[in-house]
Amino acid sequence: MSHRQRIKVLISGIGLDGHFTGAEIVSRFLMDAGMEVVYLGIYQTPEMIVSAAVEESVDIIGISSHASNYEQIGLLLDLMKKNDLDDVPVICGGTIPKRDAEALLERGVAKIFPPQSSSESIVDYIFSCVKR
Amino acid sequence: MKRETDYGYEIKPVYTPDDIAGLDYKKDLGDPGSYPYVRGYHPNGYRSRVWTRRMTAGLGSSKRTNEVLQQYRKMGQTQGMLVICDRPNAMPIDADHPMGRRESGVLGWHGASLLEFEELMDDIPLTGQSITLLGSSAMSCMRLAYVVALAEKRGVDLREVHGSVTEYPFCHTFGQTDHLPLDLLIKLWLDSSEYIIRNKIHMRSGILSQHFQESGGNNAQALAVEIAQLKELLGMLVKERGLDFDDVGLLPYELVSISSRFFEEIAKVRALRRMYAKMAKETFKAKSEKACQLLISVHTSGRAMTYQQPYNNIARCAIQTLAGAIAGCTAIDNACLDNAHAEPSAFAARMSLNTQHIVSDETGVTDVTDPLAGSYFVEYLTNKVEAEAYKILQQIEDQGGMTAAVRKGFIHNMMEASARKRQKEIESGERLVVGVNELVIPPEEDDDIPIQSVEASDSEEIAKRMETWKKTRNMPLLKEKIARLYADAKEGKDFNLMPSIIEAVKAYGTAGEIMGVIRVANGFHYDPLEMIDCPFDLQ
Repeated sequence: MSHRQRIKVLISGIGLDGHFTGAEIVSRFLMDAGMEVVYLGIYQTPEMIVSAAVEESVDIIGISSHASNYEQIGLLLDLMKKNDLDDVPVICGGTIPKRDAEALLERGVAKIFPPQSSSESIVDYIFSCVKR
Repeated sequence: MKRETDYGYEIKPVYTPDDIAGLDYKKDLGDPGSYPYVRGYHPNGYRSRVWTRRMTAGLGSSKRTNEVLQQYRKMGQTQGMLVICDRPNAMPIDADHPMGRRESGVLGWHGASLLEFEELMDDIPLTGQSITLLGSSAMSCMRLAYVVALAEKRGVDLREVHGSVTEYPFCHTFGQTDHLPLDLLIKLWLDSSEYIIRNKIHMRSGILSQHFQESGGNNAQALAVEIAQLKELLGMLVKERGLDFDDVGLLPYELVSISSRFFEEIAKVRALRRMYAKMAKETFKAKSEKACQLLISVHTSGRAMTYQQPYNNIARCAIQTLAGAIAGCTAIDNACLDNAHAEPSAFAARMSLNTQHIVSDETGVTDVTDPLAGSYFVEYLTNKVEAEAYKILQQIEDQGGMTAAVRKGFIHNMMEASARKRQKEIESGERLVVGVNELVIPPEEDDDIPIQSVEASDSEEIAKRMETWKKTRNMPLLKEKIARLYADAKEGKDFNLMPSIIEAVKAYGTAGEIMGVIRVANGFHYDPLEMIDCPFDLQ
């Protein structure tokens, strides 16, 4: 598979959330599944994430969030619309309460993976929604 | 199903005297109250004093956190309070910073000024209970300054205040925020620690393995990382600040993460007491008994709590609490049934605190000290985890010590590899977790639990209040104190900044301002996120 054919995933923390283990583990198993991962790390603002997504032409964005202020993910979705990135799905993982998860799904997040989600379920989902 | 410790040692079906052959009771264990303190520090254990039972508080505004603390006091938590700080505070930036506006009060208390601390402590005594404020290392000196300033205002003798408000400089490596470089974090930690020791304040400093372990590290690694940190940091206080180890040894406390592998967790705590005592005596030549006794507090593991079937977490919490109690810790704060969802709701907090009271008052665990001593299995595990920890400690020393090992990425890589191993074991079914890979139920049948959350509007409200309040301060006084702080911060690494930080705090300087000015004096941008400029003319 050539470089161009590989699925390119952007993984990032958002806001001031200092937890990184989830994002790092997910990045690792996406790479093991043959995907290209752009790992931004933690402390990224919605603006920084959108800018990286445009620059890197990613296929999908994964946000790791540990009991955060989920409004930041909402801001990310708004910014993506403004930058014509509507076709890039955003998936989220982490300790997101059901009520907030439902609100995020309504707002446009493609899928939410709760804690202890299997790597297989995440990999399968990305393969299903990003066709190559 | 895998039957092995998290550090890869296979567990046998039966343990016999052969497994602890050569164990010398007096030399290796000793009675409770005797060196090397494997069995605890007090001959009568909990008969002398039961552990401090407490719950973590902190969410939203200072007034809201005060209400939660008052509620906990009514629920029987009167020995000690534990408040966790929010993310802007950990950075540290103020609530009215562009990023602060988005996250103030989320995941903790926004303690960015003395005003906030005054509101937090409204109608709550400074003495008679331990005061613990958890947050990033950079903010340690600010939190200490709050306590000093409020004690002065209330006319309380500082030497009667006890608890812990300062934290170790490596915490940013393990998932805490801190945007100061490690050198400056170490310098500020040394300043606050020296101030505590020289002024004989009974305030401990958290030097923790809990963050490391909750981020993925295993038991043996956690012991090694803890001892490596203690050795390096306490060594600096002795060598660089000229303090006596018998005083320095009274400073640290360790928050141990206790998970559900019951016997292994108890063995870890017993091994830690022995490892610290040996280090104090052999490396630092401690003369007093107290300096050989590391205060050990327990945090039951949030990482072990599952999002799925959250009521199961009550059972996990009870098992972990009992392990902490049998291990002989001095304080416990519990993870809650909603830990994998949000900060504790009132219901979850009540369940956790009641769990502690049930364990302390109904199980008989407080009757006997170190009840598992002499168990072939537990003694073997204690020896085993200690031996494995010493191997890892040697690897850290080979890197040049803790700071060097952090800089080289050794600690981070070790933690990440351990977290990945656990994830793989759960996915393959080698490690069973009820609700996750065993006895799974469909998501739609899962339980709904009450969740406490903070809205974006709450953060904005905290920000607006700070913006308005900042204009009401005595600005000439604040500018004078800031100028002194800036001058002192340029004096060099051994010049203690605590006195000028305390003065700036009393003039209601905020975290963003005080830490920002220290940053500028050390050649960094005022704002860790480089989004705003310094509001003071420092020239």
